[in-house]
Amino acid sequence: MKNAGGLLAAICLLAAALGVASVPAAADTLDEIKKRGELVFGGDAEGGGPFVFPRQDDPTQVQGFEIELANLLAARLGVKARFSQGQWGKLPDLLQRGDIDVVLNGYEWTPALGQRFAASLPYYVYELQMLVRKNDDRAKQLSDLGMPGLDGKMRIAVLGGSAAERYLQKAFGNNVEIVSYEGTTDAMQGVEQALDGVDATLQDLPIVTYYEKRFPKLRRLGEPVEPGFYVILARQDDQRLIQALNQAILGCYQDGSFPRVLARYGMWNDTQRRRGLVTDERGNFRPDLPATAPAQAGDAAAPPRRGLWQMLWQDGLGWILVQAAGVTVLLASLAMPLAIFVGLAIAVGRLYGPRFLRPPLGWYVEVIRGTPLVLQLYVIFFILPSWGLAIPAFWAAVFGLALNYSAYEAEIYRAGLQAIPRGQMEAALSLGMSRWLALRRIIIPQAMRVVIPPVMNDFIAMFKDTAVCSLITVVELSKAYYIHAQSTGAVVQLGLVTALLYLAMSYPLSIFVSRMERRLAEGRRHD
Amino acid sequence: MIEITNLCKRFGQTHVLRGVSMAVKKGEVSVLLGPSGGGKSTLLRTINALETFDEGRIRIDNLELTPSEHQEAHIRQIRRRVGMVFQQFNLFPHLTALQNVTEAPRHVLGLSRDEAEKQAKELLCRVGLADKLHARPTTLSGGQQQRVAIARALAMKPEAILFDEPTSALDPRMTAEVVSVVADLAKSGQTMIIVTHSLGFARSVADTIHVMHAGAVAESGPPAQIFEDPQQEVTRTFLDQARND
Repeated sequence: MKNAGGLLAAICLLAAALGVASVPAAADTLDEIKKRGELVFGGDAEGGGPFVFPRQDDPTQVQGFEIELANLLAARLGVKARFSQGQWGKLPDLLQRGDIDVVLNGYEWTPALGQRFAASLPYYVYELQMLVRKNDDRAKQLSDLGMPGLDGKMRIAVLGGSAAERYLQKAFGNNVEIVSYEGTTDAMQGVEQALDGVDATLQDLPIVTYYEKRFPKLRRLGEPVEPGFYVILARQDDQRLIQALNQAILGCYQDGSFPRVLARYGMWNDTQRRRGLVTDERGNFRPDLPATAPAQAGDAAAPPRRGLWQMLWQDGLGWILVQAAGVTVLLASLAMPLAIFVGLAIAVGRLYGPRFLRPPLGWYVEVIRGTPLVLQLYVIFFILPSWGLAIPAFWAAVFGLALNYSAYEAEIYRAGLQAIPRGQMEAALSLGMSRWLALRRIIIPQAMRVVIPPVMNDFIAMFKDTAVCSLITVVELSKAYYIHAQSTGAVVQLGLVTALLYLAMSYPLSIFVSRMERRLAEGRRHD
Repeated sequence: MIEITNLCKRFGQTHVLRGVSMAVKKGEVSVLLGPSGGGKSTLLRTINALETFDEGRIRIDNLELTPSEHQEAHIRQIRRRVGMVFQQFNLFPHLTALQNVTEAPRHVLGLSRDEAEKQAKELLCRVGLADKLHARPTTLSGGQQQRVAIARALAMKPEAILFDEPTSALDPRMTAEVVSVVADLAKSGQTMIIVTHSLGFARSVADTIHVMHAGAVAESGPPAQIFEDPQQEVTRTFLDQARND
């Protein structure tokens, strides 16, 4: 599945350098799960089918073979399963933070992950499948792709940082050109439309099975290759939990309940049957699909597309997007006043505060302005908890945005305060006012007026920056769009709806700003 | 009531004030005349602690200002007793004329809104602006603004008012408005120190004139003496130039 992008990888490295120790589980997680009656598992609904994706009849709920697996496993532990949304690449961090009990979302086992976390037995063996266009008969088998003389190198689309990308590098080296995509279906669409000369895409087999119907112009090339293992991750200390989950996984295979789920998603195949890997210590696991399993293969594959109106009204997607827009508005309207307050305090401190305070305030502005918002959010949400300060995601987002913008507001206010003529302060002082009273009653009210246009401008910008907060699991408008665009395939239509919602939020503000500017300009004409 | 003793101030190598001494009695109107750069405005601003100084001392009644005095509360005490009117008026542009006048009494002296407004209306009447109570400074002429500024200073009931070239930014008609207000104040016994370039203004209101040159007082005396019988070469040169302008 998806892997972290370059920037996020860099952030993770930085986090590691800062010495983010794993948060030791205070009590035993298994006992805790049983006590609260809930197994909280992390996944990203944006990853889409067949893993975890919004239900078509009720997009507020999620479905997918992993949801069903979680329900089966939870039932065996005697509890209920609860899905918790998080950005895919950040799920391990959410696990460390203690927001979730386990990660169950197409994470393949790697030695690195095995070192950081406790990993369960594989619950699925996936392979990689090459797809090409049906009308493209240049390659007869997989190995043809790397052959010279196919009029130039083949261009192969993959999910950036995925196992597919690593396999291509290993198997073909420089004989093919690898094109990185951000989403799996985007890559398939790229091949279907030959965007940018892309000839083929290498995908996880479950994804191919699930989305095949949506891309009728594509065909499979060759057999699946390079098996990999999806595992459940838990915190390193939670060996008891992993053992219980292992028992549950085996149980679900043995009684045929999970194979039946896989069959419905068209994911049951010989690879699952053959794998000798899923055996317990007593060796009593029979990996065959039980004869009783109804093999209605492909029942749960991606449904055909629906009209925009149907999706928005009947499926309730419209309401979901509007609610997500509400989260965006709430984030910005809580963060901006805070940013203004802190920014103003910093500007006043830098200009009028005690001398020893001025350099640190200057550094604050430089550091906050000079580092990206994503990094600040990451530190607040993922690193502060290891120092004993765990803030809920929504408030972490509010504080992160406020922190980031406070530096910019501080500079705006500094300019605004400096624009007030010296004579104003002198006149106030000569009337016996204290410096602070003069600032509060005379200088700041005037500066506020001067900076209204740039501050409102930043407010509008903040609406768009809230999108970054999906990094720390806040589902605001952009994230809601990505999730449902992936699950419905209505990338363009929902994109337009989302854009309209953003416009509906920012346009009234823009009008307000231009009115303000006009009023200020009129005020100045009298001078 | 104001006593300045041996005041010295330097900006780096430049001596702006070189041992200025003068006294202003209660009810007296003192005018500082002299060529530009002579230190008149700087002297005025040090009295209100808007400028620091390096040597000497200033006494206002029983309060003393010395070079080492940095306590804000003490400085505020002095400023409350000594009002100031600026060349550029420095009205608060976000407040109406009335609010400009009530601001300090309400928030420094703690007067109630009603008390402060009653007093402010009387003062604005006195400077001839009864019809401009709710006007913003930007909609007023320069003369009107300066009269609001005078009312604002008077609202703190200062024992003395310092005027820093109050008519220099005004045309002759507006100057006349302001001069007549200042003359009224003089008649009512208000202690004032006025820095100006206008000889006519000085002659009409001054009890005592101090001619300042190169950071020191060159000559002091009543207007009749300064204008008709100047004792110092500096004074004669200045008056000749000023009359030719």
